[in-house]
Amino acid sequence: MSFLAPLLLFGLPLALLPVIIHLIHLRRRKQVPWAAMMFLMAAQKMNKGLSKLRQYLILAFRVLAVLALILMIGRPLAGGLLGLTGGAPDSVIILLDRSASTEQQLLTTGTGKRLAGLRNLAAAVKDAYGTRSKLVLIDSATRQPVPLENAEALTDLPRTGPTDTASDIPALLQGALDYISTNQTGRTDVWLVSDLRESDWNARGGRWPALRAAFASLQGIRFQILAYPETAAGDLGIAVSGVTRRETADKAELLLDLRLHRAGDAPAEPQTIPLRVVVNGAGSTLNAEMKGNQVLLQAQAIPIDKSTKRGWGRVELPADAGPADNVFHFVFDAPPVLKSVIVSDQPDMAGPVQAALSAPADPSRTYDAGVLPVARAAEIVWEETALIVWQAALPEADSATARQLEAHLAAGRSLLFLPPATPTADTFMGVRWQSWQDAPDNQPVLVDWWRSDAGLLAGTRAGAALPVGETGVQRWCSLEGEIIPLARLGEKGGNHTVLGQASRDGGRGPWFLTTLPSAGSSSLARDGVVLFALLHRALQEGAATLGNARQLEAAMGSLGPEPAAWTRLDLDNPETILPEDRPLRAGVLERPSAVAGSPPRLTALNRPLEEDAPAVIGRPVLDELFAGLDWRLIERTLDNEKSLTSEVWRTFLTLMAAALVLEALLSMPDRKSAAAAKPAGLKPNPA
Amino acid sequence: MKPGASPLLDSAVISRLLALPLNARQAMTGSVSGRHRSPVRGSSVEFAQYRKYVPGDDTRRLDWRTWGRTDRFYIKEFEADTNLRMGLVVDASGSMAYGPAGATRLDYARKLAGTLGYLAARQGDAVGLWGVGRDHRGKLPAKRGAGHLRLIIEQLTALEAKGETTLLESLHEAADQIPQRALIVVVSDFFIAPAGLKQALQHLRFRRHEVALFHVLDPVELDFKFERPARFVDMEGGETILADPALVARRYQEVVRKYLFEMDEVIRTTGIDYQRVMLQEPFEEVLARFLLARLQSKGRR
Repeated sequence: MSFLAPLLLFGLPLALLPVIIHLIHLRRRKQVPWAAMMFLMAAQKMNKGLSKLRQYLILAFRVLAVLALILMIGRPLAGGLLGLTGGAPDSVIILLDRSASTEQQLLTTGTGKRLAGLRNLAAAVKDAYGTRSKLVLIDSATRQPVPLENAEALTDLPRTGPTDTASDIPALLQGALDYISTNQTGRTDVWLVSDLRESDWNARGGRWPALRAAFASLQGIRFQILAYPETAAGDLGIAVSGVTRRETADKAELLLDLRLHRAGDAPAEPQTIPLRVVVNGAGSTLNAEMKGNQVLLQAQAIPIDKSTKRGWGRVELPADAGPADNVFHFVFDAPPVLKSVIVSDQPDMAGPVQAALSAPADPSRTYDAGVLPVARAAEIVWEETALIVWQAALPEADSATARQLEAHLAAGRSLLFLPPATPTADTFMGVRWQSWQDAPDNQPVLVDWWRSDAGLLAGTRAGAALPVGETGVQRWCSLEGEIIPLARLGEKGGNHTVLGQASRDGGRGPWFLTTLPSAGSSSLARDGVVLFALLHRALQEGAATLGNARQLEAAMGSLGPEPAAWTRLDLDNPETILPEDRPLRAGVLERPSAVAGSPPRLTALNRPLEEDAPAVIGRPVLDELFAGLDWRLIERTLDNEKSLTSEVWRTFLTLMAAALVLEALLSMPDRKSAAAAKPAGLKPNPA
Repeated sequence: MKPGASPLLDSAVISRLLALPLNARQAMTGSVSGRHRSPVRGSSVEFAQYRKYVPGDDTRRLDWRTWGRTDRFYIKEFEADTNLRMGLVVDASGSMAYGPAGATRLDYARKLAGTLGYLAARQGDAVGLWGVGRDHRGKLPAKRGAGHLRLIIEQLTALEAKGETTLLESLHEAADQIPQRALIVVVSDFFIAPAGLKQALQHLRFRRHEVALFHVLDPVELDFKFERPARFVDMEGGETILADPALVARRYQEVVRKYLFEMDEVIRTTGIDYQRVMLQEPFEEVLARFLLARLQSKGRR
């Protein structure tokens, strides 16, 4: 609890006034010579316990009334949420979730969750801690600790502004842990402002146990989670999953693959949603009929000028409670060559893969699939290669090849590992090949389960499933390490993973196919369809970052080391976005090419699509995540404008009134005494 | 000694009360002839009874007429009248100083005892005085005569209310030391345990004394009506008690009721004469009531 007029608290000793007055009165009481002392002593003796208690209670209520009065005029601040915080800690670390989903707003006020949380927190920190604690801000976008002069600065800092990024809450907590460990912050309150989105919290991730243990080993750390888990029912979101420029003899057009989705329950009747499409600054409107919660609009044609070979644009939805998912930016350019490299010393294996990668999935694109032996892996043209298929022993840890492969992944390209003839003990991103295993009785084991909703083995656009279940596997190489399975063998195959993806913090990991496509290992090459789809999808994903026009997710570092070199194209006043904020905000950016005469590079930054998932974690999950730690959840909604702290003088006024009433009740002679005070009516002479 | 010679003796009051004789309720053994009945047979004109002659009886008291009718010897006995010995026991403990200056309980007791002593002396009875109090243990034996009455009045006037009460000790002393039947008049506030008082009264009754109590009280002592809390100082030198009347009045009155009930019980079981007197009552009325009640039940032998 804190006070708006703390100086008045120096008057607290005045609460002892009733006691002092009582003592003075004791000394100044009128003296009455009394003869019938035997009666008085007996009466006092009979009345002693109750009378004393009554006197003490009266005195206590008087003290309480004065105490409440002094506290009341001191204008106390408290809140059921802050409670009695037990004094200001040495440090207050504010962890701010700046993910795109925190921009969900209340339409009547236009205030988003992030801003509401910041305002509430600024007021609460100011009221509860004043300037007694050191304030540090760590935001989810940059994860860099920034000391704050005062709590009011929270709402003004660029570091607390909106972004279109995703949040990595475990990483944010790791940042707080590092700061606490490095700076020995003493007693620390960690305030975390978040909308509790499941995708941001990654509650099933492997970092939580370590974080929990690390925080539990520290003394005096207290977590306060200010959460806005409310989701906006009916919020519409738009995403562009593909942009293709098509030119015929008489016209040119852009073909957009759109995904329109809605949060919450779907309305009973189909709705027409107007979509505004802007291409190179010129807008047009497209109506989409929406049934249910999601609609996929494939190859929506937007006419463009034939001379327009490259450009940028966006698709916009009408304003609603979630502004972050109402716009999706895109860029287009002449498509780059879809280059892939197969690194293998086994020509019989490389052959089918090369054939699949060379066969065009899109006739308008150029495909280039080369094969390199392991010894010549250094010859890979890393900047132009979208997919590397590595069928060899894993590179040694920290070797140049390993680092280049990691950089390749980090740049958004694809990497698929196939098992080598002889597995080694080397690991890549925590995963290593173990040993080859044969199917029992040399009978191929069919793939029993695969992920058909997303990933390399997802169903077709028309909704049909790939015939993955018909794929027979005769031998496979088991894996060790943390792998997210995408396909598994049946029980005969010991439920071994056939295809999996290594988890990697902050991005995609490499894929591991545990069998070879060649005959004798699996039917992948023979059946062809699954192998073709698998390879081309991996190629397509890796190609997203090729060429001069790229689609990227907004994140720190998404524009490389020089974000200031990029200019926003979609804004009239691009300078309003600070250079360090440019990688964090959705939009279209342009950077002059380093090569003279080459066209500038275009990049469309958008929110990560997982930000559209409205699922939030609940209290039970938080209980699990913060088990053993001192933490408190403060849930708020946007329409709740009540401050975390509030003046509670009314409480003290009530307390004072109650104390005075009780004091008066106790001071009143009871009915029997009042009756007894009347003449006793004793007979003067019984005779 | 004449009425008005002392502030204790109000001549107007005495002149009105002279019409009422002071009678003893039981036979007295006085030293001289008087107006009170004696337990022994005497030679007054009032016939008492016949009794058989036994050798040694005075033959002059034989009733010849009875002998003539019955041929037996009977002695004719007559009542003997004697004077009364009255012992005035006046409590002079500290609590007797209660009341406004000049009208304290002791002042009241003095007037009551002085007037009663005068009335007794006027009809030829012997009057004695027993002071009660740590500083007033002196006693004047019952004697007749104006000189002795003066002495008693002076002793009464000299009494000062102070110290703890020694009433019970004095009553037991009186019971032991007064040799013959007497009327013991006690004037006190009786702020003592009724059980102790009962024993003392029974002691007096055992010694065939007649006892009359004047219980002098103030209504405030019964009701405990005070507006504010006060520090109550024991007038007999005991402790000081801080009390809030609002809190203790009810209990106080309960205690008083219990005490008075016990006093009534003592009076009923001991059969003594008891007058509960409020300090505001004129003492003349109290004495008139006392004397009138005695007219109706003149002493048995």
